[in-house]
Amino acid sequence: MSNSIFGWLTIILRRDLLIAFRRSATYITPLIFFLIVVTFFPLALGPQESLLSSLAPGVIWIATLLASLLAVESIFSEDFRDGTLDNFFISLEPSFVLVFAKVLIHWLITGLPIMAASIIAAIVLYLPFDSFLPILLSLILGTSFMSLLGALGAALSLGKSAILSAIIVLPFSIPTLLMGTSVITSSINSQDYFGFLMIMGAMLAIGIPLLCLLTVEALLLNYD
Amino acid sequence: MLPNLKVENLSCVRSEKAIFENLNFDVFPGQNIEIIGSNGSGKTTLLRAILGLIRPENGTIRWLDDDNNFNEYRTYDCFYQGHQLGIKNLLTVFENLNLTHNAKGLKKEKIYKCLERVGLSNINDLASSLSVGQRKRISIARWLLKDFKIYFIDEPFSALDDEATNLIERLIIELNTEGCSFVMTGHRPSQVNASRIEI
Repeated sequence: MSNSIFGWLTIILRRDLLIAFRRSATYITPLIFFLIVVTFFPLALGPQESLLSSLAPGVIWIATLLASLLAVESIFSEDFRDGTLDNFFISLEPSFVLVFAKVLIHWLITGLPIMAASIIAAIVLYLPFDSFLPILLSLILGTSFMSLLGALGAALSLGKSAILSAIIVLPFSIPTLLMGTSVITSSINSQDYFGFLMIMGAMLAIGIPLLCLLTVEALLLNYD
Repeated sequence: MLPNLKVENLSCVRSEKAIFENLNFDVFPGQNIEIIGSNGSGKTTLLRAILGLIRPENGTIRWLDDDNNFNEYRTYDCFYQGHQLGIKNLLTVFENLNLTHNAKGLKKEKIYKCLERVGLSNINDLASSLSVGQRKRISIARWLLKDFKIYFIDEPFSALDDEATNLIERLIIELNTEGCSFVMTGHRPSQVNASRIEI
């Protein structure tokens, strides 16, 4: 059974990553959007080191949240339109695996590039070198949780306006925003940030089963 | 011989309007059922209700298991092909077959053989460059990936030329002899030997 599930997960991952790489806009657009938003701040506010570094945690996290929402609508829409989703639900494999694979793909094509770009953002916003690791750790946990929330938003707004999924997801991303910015702020002020990371980790640990199951139910609503 | 599927008193209502009521039929191994009806008569809804994608208002759908008991849940894979073919434009012909969940664990040779049987030789072409007929042939090649007990095919003969129609008819006959059953929909009766239900 576990081999069967792993085989299914591998097929979905291979197929969707291949499609994503052949449609480069899927992963380039969130990355460019993130970099544009982050670099606009020094341009608008001027190169004042103390001002930029104090704003940096909020800037990085708001840019991350908005950038990760750009590809949310596409998580299930193509599979729903072309009938692939029907076959996933009809197969005897657990639908949970499908949703988990889709979340993982969304994270790989949006969360991972944003994490890489966050180092450039940290340099542009005059953040100290010591804060790079906490930024990456908070982004790993935060962007993964955003992908889970995004999948739920995408499932609830399937076949409807793309902006609807962003409206559904953004209010629920506030805890991630608060924890993520707190991690970076604490590291800048040389304070302990592990507590915030642990909360983010707990949110992710609860979110993986709970949000995947809710997403399965939300997807099935589209058939009724 | 026991049927693989029993549909009893199946009714479906949407927006307070009955789409179909009290449908009864059995699907025996090697038998074809053709559901005939005009546009909007509920043919697709019926297939989706049987497969569990839509909740029917009344009735039961029971599947035969390996121990010859009838259950409300299915223990084997069925094949479903709706109006949309599930073909990905950015994948090649080969990848469109190899990267579907039914191809899990299959060797490349098996995929090549399936494509050969439906007359597709341009296996490295992107699906976006194919004609409607060739895309339909990819979806037909998917029928052959595994031995499914029951195939649920929504309007298999729509938008096909004579050659493709003959290919499907031939494949249905071949699969019937292997004990596979087809539940198909259509606007008018096809040439395939089938029990017909009008809705």
